[in-house]
Amino acid sequence: MTENGSFFGSDWLGAFLIIAVLFGGFGGFGFGGNGAAAVDINGALATQSIQQSLGAIQLSSQNNNYETARLIDNQTMYLMNQQNSNLINAIQGYNSTNQALASGFNSVNQNIANLGYKMEECCCGIKTMLLENRLQDTQLALQDAQNKAVTSDQTAYLLNVMGKWVANAPATTA
Amino acid sequence: MPNPMLSLLQGSQSQNNIMMQAIGAMMRGESPQNFMQSLAKNNPALQGLDLNNLNGTAEQLCRQNNIDINDAKSRINQYVNNIK
Repeated sequence: MTENGSFFGSDWLGAFLIIAVLFGGFGGFGFGGNGAAAVDINGALATQSIQQSLGAIQLSSQNNNYETARLIDNQTMYLMNQQNSNLINAIQGYNSTNQALASGFNSVNQNIANLGYKMEECCCGIKTMLLENRLQDTQLALQDAQNKAVTSDQTAYLLNVMGKWVANAPATTA
Repeated sequence: MPNPMLSLLQGSQSQNNIMMQAIGAMMRGESPQNFMQSLAKNNPALQGLDLNNLNGTAEQLCRQNNIDINDAKSRINQYVNNIK
């Protein structure tokens, strides 16, 4: 039997059969024997199978790692783009808000300025009214004083006349 | 990566496992007749057998032990092919 030749029908097959029958080294073949060699061979085959499986798993793992890295990269780019879009939207939103606030503040400032003007105008009006009221009161007081002065003069004159009359009463004429 | 089969053969040979010795000899390209004759020197069970006609001797032993020769050949052939 050679590595590339047919084992079946070769002298090696006969040799293995003799060994299997006489020494019981092929328990795993199901026709007698102590099974020790079969265990070893089974172990070797299992090891070989395991190593082949491990190789396949390793290759699969490498492919998976590559695919995972690619997916992560894609996902990262996607998320970054999404975040950028979100940031742009947010900034645009902030800009709109800022513009609205600035416009609002401008309107409020204008209203405050107008209110200031009105308050000043109102204050001026009040001061004027107070002064006018005070002037009117003064004028009334003056008028009253003048009236009293006239009355006093008249009273004094009457008293003077009456006094003269009392002192020099005219003779009665019966 | 070391060949697990060769590692196993080296370990088994040291344990004087005849099956492992046979597989090792086969893989080294030795003649099955030479291997069996050298094996017979230390194994009386092999002495007296016709080791120049291994297939014929195997068939005779199978008949004596009520073993289905074709089934045994098929199983060993499949096993060795799996090992290769």
